[in-house]
Parts: sequence; structure tokens; C-alpha cells
Amino acid sequence: MSSNNNIDATVRISGLDKHFGPETAVLDFNILIEQGEFVTLLGPSGCGKTTTLRCVAGLERPDGGDIFIGDQLVASYEQDVYLNPEDRNIGMVFQSYAVWPHMTVFDNVAYGLRVRRAGKSEIKKRTMRALELVGLDHLADRYATKLSGGQRQRVALARAIVYEPRVILFDEPLSNLDAKLREQMRDEIVRLQKEVGITSIFVTHDQSEALVMSDRVVVMDKAVIQQVGDPQDIYANPANAFVANFIGVTSLLKGRVIGHSNSIYDIELPSIIGGEPLRLRATGETGIGEESEVHVSLRPEDVTLNTDKPSDAENLNLLEGKVIDTVYLGSFLECRVDVKGHEINIQIDHFENLSRDQTVFLTFRAEHALCLAN
Amino acid sequence: MTSETYDTDPRPSRMSNRFRALWTQENVITIIVSAIVAIAVVLPLITLVVSSFLVLDDLGFSTEWSFGNYVTIVTDPIIPKAFLNTLIICSGCTVLATFLGVSLAWTNARTNCPGRTWLEPFNLIPFFLSPFIGAIAWHNMGEPKTGLLNNFFRDIFGIEGHVINIDNIWGVIWVTGIFFAPLVYLFVVGSLRRMDPSLEDSARTTGAGLFRTTMTVTLPLVMPGILSGAIIVFVTSAGEFGVPFKLSAPYGWETLTTQIFTKAVGDDANHYLGATMAMALGAITVFLIWIQRRYIAPRSFETVTGKGFRPNVLDLGSWKWVAFGYNILFILVAVILPIISLLIVSLHPVWQGTIMLDKITGINYVKTLFFWREESIDAATNGIFNSLFLAFVGASISMVLALVVSYMIHRTKGFGSWLLDFLCVVPIGFPGIVLAMGVLVTYIQTPIYATLWILLLGYITRFFPYGQRNIASILLSISEELDQSSRMAGATWVTTMRRITIPLLKPGIFAGWILLFVIFVRELSISIMLYTDGTETLAVGVYYLTNYENEPLTAALSLAQTLLCLICMIAFRRLAGKEALSA
Amino acid sequence: MTSEDISSKYLQVRNLVKYFGDDKAVDNISFGIDEGAFLTLLGPSGCGKTTTLMSIAGLHTINSGAIEVGGLTYTEPSSSIFLPPEKRDIGMVFQSYAIWPHMTVTQNVAYPLEIRKLNKSEIDDRVAETLSLVDLTDMAEKNATQLSGGQQQRASLARAIVSNPRLLLFDEPLSNLDLKLREAMRVELKRIQNEVGITSIYVTHDQSEALVMSDEIIVMSKGNIEQSGEPVEIYSKPNNKYVSNFIGVANLLDAKVEKVTEDGSGEVTVQYGEMTARLPCRIGRGVHQGDEATLSVRPENVHVSRDKTSDSSIEGKVENVIFLGNHVDCRVNWGEYEWKVIAHPRDRLKEGEKIYLRFDSDHTLAVQQ
Repeated sequence: MSSNNNIDATVRISGLDKHFGPETAVLDFNILIEQGEFVTLLGPSGCGKTTTLRCVAGLERPDGGDIFIGDQLVASYEQDVYLNPEDRNIGMVFQSYAVWPHMTVFDNVAYGLRVRRAGKSEIKKRTMRALELVGLDHLADRYATKLSGGQRQRVALARAIVYEPRVILFDEPLSNLDAKLREQMRDEIVRLQKEVGITSIFVTHDQSEALVMSDRVVVMDKAVIQQVGDPQDIYANPANAFVANFIGVTSLLKGRVIGHSNSIYDIELPSIIGGEPLRLRATGETGIGEESEVHVSLRPEDVTLNTDKPSDAENLNLLEGKVIDTVYLGSFLECRVDVKGHEINIQIDHFENLSRDQTVFLTFRAEHALCLAN
Repeated sequence: MTSETYDTDPRPSRMSNRFRALWTQENVITIIVSAIVAIAVVLPLITLVVSSFLVLDDLGFSTEWSFGNYVTIVTDPIIPKAFLNTLIICSGCTVLATFLGVSLAWTNARTNCPGRTWLEPFNLIPFFLSPFIGAIAWHNMGEPKTGLLNNFFRDIFGIEGHVINIDNIWGVIWVTGIFFAPLVYLFVVGSLRRMDPSLEDSARTTGAGLFRTTMTVTLPLVMPGILSGAIIVFVTSAGEFGVPFKLSAPYGWETLTTQIFTKAVGDDANHYLGATMAMALGAITVFLIWIQRRYIAPRSFETVTGKGFRPNVLDLGSWKWVAFGYNILFILVAVILPIISLLIVSLHPVWQGTIMLDKITGINYVKTLFFWREESIDAATNGIFNSLFLAFVGASISMVLALVVSYMIHRTKGFGSWLLDFLCVVPIGFPGIVLAMGVLVTYIQTPIYATLWILLLGYITRFFPYGQRNIASILLSISEELDQSSRMAGATWVTTMRRITIPLLKPGIFAGWILLFVIFVRELSISIMLYTDGTETLAVGVYYLTNYENEPLTAALSLAQTLLCLICMIAFRRLAGKEALSA
Repeated sequence: MTSEDISSKYLQVRNLVKYFGDDKAVDNISFGIDEGAFLTLLGPSGCGKTTTLMSIAGLHTINSGAIEVGGLTYTEPSSSIFLPPEKRDIGMVFQSYAIWPHMTVTQNVAYPLEIRKLNKSEIDDRVAETLSLVDLTDMAEKNATQLSGGQQQRASLARAIVSNPRLLLFDEPLSNLDLKLREAMRVELKRIQNEVGITSIYVTHDQSEALVMSDEIIVMSKGNIEQSGEPVEIYSKPNNKYVSNFIGVANLLDAKVEKVTEDGSGEVTVQYGEMTARLPCRIGRGVHQGDEATLSVRPENVHVSRDKTSDSSIEGKVENVIFLGNHVDCRVNWGEYEWKVIAHPRDRLKEGEKIYLRFDSDHTLAVQQ
């Protein structure tokens, strides 16, 4: 498949709104997606990610804003422009595969070319090449009903890329597959996307898919974009408590700023069970005011658990707590520790016998504790 | 791995163990029931085949074995024509019903046609009514001289002669077509409504326009449903007796069913010849049903992926009012006009084609319904009693059979369950009149002949598979683990049936019961073959009145039967939910 | 496990054989567990785990062998004993939850007690107690159909334990739940089982469930037992290649055992393409000097560095790096072998880069092929 260098395949969405009755599905969505970029819309169900994708596809009509594919305006509420999906030259892969059961694999894939009135020999050549790309050329004559879930998804993929659309849209394509197959297909889609170099928008609620596959991730919640950035950036520097919690595992501790120097904040955590409050130092964006209520986000892998009180911890945060429970997972041990009513998750690399209510000491560095303004 | 149950052990270690394992509550009950079903279904069919080779001599006393009956049905002056007429009627009816059914289902499920939610139950009303009554009503409207519609057109437009003549083979096609349209509708509407919208969305994003998507994706996906519906319509119309009997036979267009009736019942009855004709008709229908089950039903695509879908709805623009008008027109000709015409006719002492307000009377209802009055007509009032009895008892027995048989087929498995499954399909392939012919020749020498019990037997044999399907569809949708967890909780098989399985199936059982009740209340083609004086049914009562009395009396009893069916339909929808009938 | 070991146990399965037609689903297996313990039967689909469970439940008959619980023989074909399921006094939780939709939560849970003909007030007390144990008190009068998947699973558990049965059976009860709920429920299930102390057998194909919940795990394949033991033992000392591969992720290399010492350690050589290495390791059960064995190394036990830090370090090339938030999955080429390695995002590994892999000899194990 040749890449589409010669056509402009950026996607520009500005001020996109969409309502369903009284409910707002998407509010003021803005993004510029570069040619060849792989962008993931990530969020819990009902966050508006699928609606956004369907607006790009032309399967929903926006209630506000503009959508450009390349320099072509495909939908605009203000200018009353709305192109039918078939006129947008896009490819789309659906969650339910949507492989047509009354056609063979070949006919499914060739459909887009036939619609475009390609010549017979060209249809054959290009269809077979697309099937080769997804490794299904040997099943071309089989009926779609005779395929496994993973194979159907490959057919759907081949069908969406065969006519070299400007943009390919993925609507949670992996969520119907089992865990092993999901990982396999995930890698496959990334490989194929890099090979074909096609601009892609991928919708998922699975944060690990988003981290693995994307050039950029758009985290959405409640119809609004929460953060846009590359996977490492979003994981390391979440913009708010929602993002921190949704991407990866974290413990969120509610506290209050009592002092700061540059980006290092002194934070007081109230003791939920009564008694002296806890203090710790955390890193955050500059400009969080004294006395503001904040969340401290602490990743399980950044906390060290000590059974005895460490002596060399002057530069570290040190918290004393009691073991709630442990979960053995082979490669590591998950441990929940209660620190004066706050629950902190810790990941321990090797098996260790910890008993319930045992006193333990947690240490972590200030730069691993993120101070997030509410 | 959990599908195997515990009495399929292929390698028992001791015979005594095996014997004891067989002697469980469930096996005793299921063996008895399967024996009953096997005898009830197989015996009449075997007798039918055997009697078709028995030729009656000219005196009508003794018989001999030969193919003579088969020669007769080919050389007879009327029968080959009747055969041809049947084919014409079936083809015409199938085309009309399929067109109506598919177009109505599509406007209802996939367009923004106004009022489609409340239109649907009206579209289905003909399914619950009797086509025979429909024929009577349309005769009242479309008879060339006295038909209400013809008079109406003469009065309004001053036309000479008539606009419609319903009393011919085209009239039969018209009435059966509109009455069987709901069958196709039911086969199609479910898959249209629950189709995964991404199947069509993906065609659109791939670059196909709306029209192309409809032709290359939507229609092919529902095609198996359309074909199944069409075949069922063909078979049902082939076995239809009432409509051709009323509209075409008196005017020279005999069909196979009217011929079977004429040959097998009456003064010079020849049961053996009747059996032979029934064989011919049965062969066609069984063949078609076999095609449907073997080739078409397995092709139906799993287009439903388990999620609740909002189907893609097409905005028709101002054309939506055309769709609305079309749907209203269907309800008008299939339901409203027939009922109004029956009402008008039934209120006149005699019917001469014009409404006479000063002559309006309720005497026809007194005569047909008020059994305690002197002037009541026995055939009508008997019919009411007998039909209610048959419908009540027949539906109840059928549902008990259906319950046990479904349980055997889908739960106990093994142990001859495939045979039971087969036996439940066979009666569906035979038109009522054919099966009734078989029942007649089987039991004619026994004491149950000429009693209500032979009618009951015929009804149950022919129709209990409908109830069985109703239960089976629910049984398949509820997990076997629901039963098993009751066993694990310490309950025996009988307790589990009583407290878990049957309560879970209750909606299906009631819905099936009402469906059978309706079918039995309006049943004509079995009844007409098996009744005698005193065992008339409602439909036979109507037949008697239309044959030997006048149109207003017929209309009165027809309307009574129609009302009874409508009440049952409302009850059915309440209990079974909207889509219980679908496929 | 020998027959003497089993005969002292609460639940005993002896020489169980079960055919379906000509297929041997369970091939002469024996095991036992102590009263109150939590045993998991783990294996891929078709390994015979569900068949074993169904045989204990009485939902399958068996061809030979015996099943006995607390002195009561459930089934033994050679003596023509077959107790029907309802006589076995077992609580069972099914994959589909199997909550009866025509009853309320309370009616569902009360059912086993009603069958046992307890009096009304006692039933009320026990149902209320059990519902509070599974945290469903607020849902007591709800219809089963109004519950979420997780709540249905709790109700199903309550119904299974309310009559305090001899045995609790679980048939993949969590596989219909989504990932987050599944992780929460497995901890919860284990807590409740601990509290009621009913001997439990749990069937799953999910190895992480087995590790988290069990006192003891039996790993099965093709109707046979591959290994049984505590979770830590199964994970860190797999008996053979099959177990090592099924539990967790492992690098499995063909190795030749060079040296075996008395303390259970030794050395192996591995060769892939032109690359050869002699690595110190522990020696698993049944592996002898000179054997062809499999070297099993968990990805988290492979340490990555840019400098050579040990004599037994090997040099490889980073082939692929996948960022997963708290860790990085990478593939490192070494000769013709591709190592699976878990690294830290702060290592900042780049594709194509040369790095050294070091193995902790305590966590490197030679097992039978």
C-alpha cells in the first residue's frame, strides 16, 4: 500500500458540540491531527469519544463547530455543511466487526473498490494485496460467518484500508476479542498503520491500548477533553486527578497546601481516624496557592515498603501505616496499606510475607508524588 | 463443557446401575409423553399413505390395493384444474403477501413513518383473525350486484355495472394475500429492527450511498427471513379451505382443498380418493417446508450481536405521509372495512345490497348467540360451546405436551430427542385438511369418530408444535445453570420443575396457550372434515349459515368470532410482549 | 500425591476417570484437600477441570474412581454408588450466576433453606446474616434482574453458602465480569470464603485468579494433573515447561544441564544461533546432569543495564519497546532468541540499542521439558 503523501489527510476539529436531547455528548472539542498521526480518544463509557468519532465519520450530525478533513469542510453547523459518510473518503472499523455475513471475505474487502468503480483486474490486485497485509489471503473465498473473531476483525481492517482512504477511524475494535488476541491485534494494527502511514483516530476505554498504540492520546470525560499529550507525558504528568486515576493505577490522597518553594509543595493530609495530620512534600505545577485543596497522586511502583523504620530517609517522604491486605500475582505483590485512614497501593517486586495489620514504613521521593490542583 | 448431563454415560460399570439410572422421575415422564406424541403424529400419516393405495369399488363396499386413486386424480375432469388453480392462488398470494409484509415491515422498522409504534399492532390483527371470515366480509363488499363497495361506487360516481368482482380466483388471492401478509411481516421485522447498525454504517463509510447500501447489504441480510416467510405463506395458502370455498369454488374455480372436502365428505364420500389428494397436497407442502428448514433457515445471518441497538432510521421527508397513508390503507382493507361490512350486514333482516336504516334489527345476534331462545339456530350455538370447549381443553393439553417435549429436546437431550424434534416439525408441514384426512381414515372405525374427541385429537396433533416453539424459544434463552443450581441447592427434579423451570417459562406458556386458543376458536379446515351433527364448531357454524341460511346471520356469527379473536390478541400482547411472534 | 496422603483428607478424589463418548476428559486423577481450604483447578479449556468439578457436583456421572467428602461417598461406580446432586449438600456458583430472575434476592437466597424445610424465623435470620456478609442487605427485596453483574455474583454466592454446605464449588464465576470488577471480586470472594470457612473448589483458566485466591493450585492439562502446590511454589518452582508457560510469562530456553550440586543449584548452557552462554541456575525436580532441559526465566527477573555488571551477563539488542505506564515491555534479541524483559520507563530503552541482560541465579530455573 503506498502512503498517501500526495493528499492532505489532516483532520481538524474546532468547537465541536453534539447533544442528544437534553444531554450533552460532546462539548467544544478542538484538535488538529497531523497527517499519518495515530491519535487515540480515551475515556470511560459515555464520555463522548465515540460520538466525536461518529461525527468525523458522518454518522452523526454535529450541533456546533466545524470538521475539516484535509482542506475539505465535511461538516459545519454554522455554514450548514454536511457531507454523507460515503462522500468523505474515510475507512472505519467497528466494534462488532460488521463484516457482512452474506459475502465472502474477498467480496467484503472488494466492496469499497467496486463502489468506486475500479476495474476488475485492479479490484482483484488491490483486494488480494490488502488481504495479504492482514494475513488473510488464503481465506479469500471463505464466507465471513466461518471466521473467528480475530479473523473477522482483520477482514474489517482490510476492508477499511483497501481503497486508501484519507483517514481511518477505529471504534473500540478490540473490545470483543479475548485478552491474548487483543494484544496480538493491537500490535498488528500499529504495524499496519505505520506501514500504510494513514492518519488514524482510535477510540477506546482501555488505557493500556491507548498507551501502547498512540502517538497522541486525548483523554475525555463528561463530554470534555481533559488532557492531550503523548503517552509518556500523560502518564508522568497527568493534568488532573481524573487523568491520574484513569491512566494506570494510582493512590489519590486528599490534602491541603501549607507551603511551597517553586514547584515543591508542602502538603498536609488530615488524619481521617483522628490525631495528628500527616505531612509530605510533593511536586506540582507552579502557581497552586497556599491553602488550596489538592490531590496527591502516588503511583504504586514509586513507593518503597520497609518493614523496619529506615534510617536514611531524611530526603524522602516517610509514612507509617498498617497492612490491609496483599494480593499475590506471581511477578509482583500488590499491597494495600492504611495510613491514618488513607489507603495507599504499593507494588512489591518480590514475594514477601506480610501479615494483616503489620506496621510498615513507606518511603517515596517528592518528585514521585504529584500535587494536582482540584 | 457443561452441556452434557448425567444420564448419557456411555460406559456404565454394571447393568443394575444403568437400569436404576433410567428409572428416574424425568425419564418416566418423558418416555410416556414421547410415546403419546409419536402415536398421535405418526399413526394418521401412515394410515393416510396406506389408504391412498386402497381403491373403492363402484358400489362403495369393498376395496382393493392399487394405484388407481393416483390414476384418478390425474385423469379426473376437475382435479387437475383444481391443482392448477391451487398453484395460481398460492403463487399470487405469496407475491402479494410478501410485497405487503416486507414493505410494511420496512416502513415500520426503518423509516420515520408517523405513528409507527401504534400502527404495528394493527398491522398484525389479520394474523389473529380468520381468513374465512375475511372472505365472507369481502364477499359482502365485492359481490358484483350486492357488494357494498360496488353500490358505493355506483351511488357516488354513477358507474354502470361493477367496479370489483371478488367472486373469483383473484378475489381468493386478494383476501389470502392481505390476511397472510403479517406472516411475512413477522419474519422480517425483527431482523430489520435488531440488525447491528454498523453493518450498514460500514457500507456508508466504505463509500456506498443509501440506495446501494439498501440493495447490497440490508436486503440480502433479511433475504432468508423474506424467503422463509414466503414459503410459509405458500404452504399456508395451499392448505387454505375457507377462502376458496366461499369466493371461488361456487363460481367454478375449485382448488385441491375444496376438492378434498367434496370427495371425502358428503353423500358419495370416497375417503380413499380424498386421502390420495391429501397425499399430493401434503407432498408439496412437506417438500417446501423441508427446503425452508434445510436451506433457508440455516442461512439466516446472525446480525444481532447482543447489544441493544438503535436501528438506523431513514428520514423520508414529506414522503413519510405517503408511507403513513399506505399503512393506513392496508389496515383499512384488512381490518376496518371487513369488520364494518360485517356489522352493517348483520344488522339487516335480509341483505339486498343497500343499507336500510329503518330495517335495522338485532335478531341475527339473537338467533346465533342466544342459545336459550326458541328461535336460535343449533349449528351456531353448538358451535360456540364446542369451540370454547375445544379451544380451552385443546390449548391446555397442547401446552402440557409442548412443555415436556421442549424440555426433552433442549434439556435432557440424547435418548431419542432428535426424533421428537422431527415429530414436532412434521405436523407443521401438513395443511390441516390433509392431517384431518389422515385422522379421519385412522379413527373412523373407533368410538371416538363423530365425537368432539376426534376434533380435539386433530387440533392437538396439528397445532401443538406452535406451542412447542413458543416454549422452546424461551427455554433456549434461559441458562441450564438455572436448573442445575436448584439441584445443587438440594431440590429434586420435580421440585426444580415446579419452582424454577415452569415459573421461568410462564410467559411463554401463557402466550402459547392464547395463541392456540385463537387458532382453535377460528379453526375450519380440520373441523369441516371431522364434525358431525352436534359437534359443529364456531367456524363450522359460520360455514353452515353461509351455506344454508342467509348472509346477515353469517355476518353476525362471524363478527362474534372476530371479537373473540381480538380479545385474545390483546391478552396475548399483554402477556407475551411485542415481539413474541417474531420467527 | 500418594493414596496414603489422600486418605487423611476431607475431600478425596481417587483415580477419577471420565469419558465423553470415546474422548477421555479426565484420565485417572487423584487429589485431596483439607477441610476449610481453597483449592483451584487451573488449566486451559478442555483440560478436564470443569468435568472434574461437574463430577464432584453430581452433574456428570463418572466412569470409574471415587469421590468422597467428609466420610460420605458421593460416587463410586464400582459399588454402584451415585448420590444425585441434590443429596450431596453442595453450594455452587456458576459462570452465568444463575440467579433466578422470577424471584427477589431474598427468595433466591432463602430457597436452599426452604428446600431443607427450616422454619420461617430461622430462614429469615440466616438470609439476613448471609446477605450482610456479601454486602447485599440493601438489595434484599430487589428483583434479581435489577442487579448489576457484580451484585448478581454476590447473590449467587450468598445462595451457595446460606445452607452452610459441606463443599463450595465455583465454575469460572468471574469470567463474565469486566476487568476492574473481576479484580475487586476475587479479593472479595476470598475474604468471604475465609470468613465462612467452607471447603472450596474453584475452576478457572485465569492464572492470576488462581494465584490471588488459592491455598492450593492444581494445574491440569489434557485430563491430567501437571503440578499441585501453593501459589508461590507453583509460580517460582514450576515442575515443567508446561506449568512455567501457563502460569505467568516466562522466557523458556532449550538448555543442556552441565552441573548439578547438592544444594540444588547448578549450571546450564544455552545456545541460540551463534550465541552461547553458560548460566548459573537452580535445578528443578527430576532434572539431572547431562539432561536436555528447559531454562525458565521470568521477564521481571531479567535485569537490564548498559554496562556489563556480571560475568554471566549476556549482550543483546533491543528489538521492540512497548510503554505500559508503570513498566516497559521489551523484546531483546540474543542470537536467534528473543527475550521478554520488563524494564522501568526511567531506563529509557531505545529500539536498536545494545544492552546487557543479567539473571539472578536464584530466580533462574532449569525444569523438565
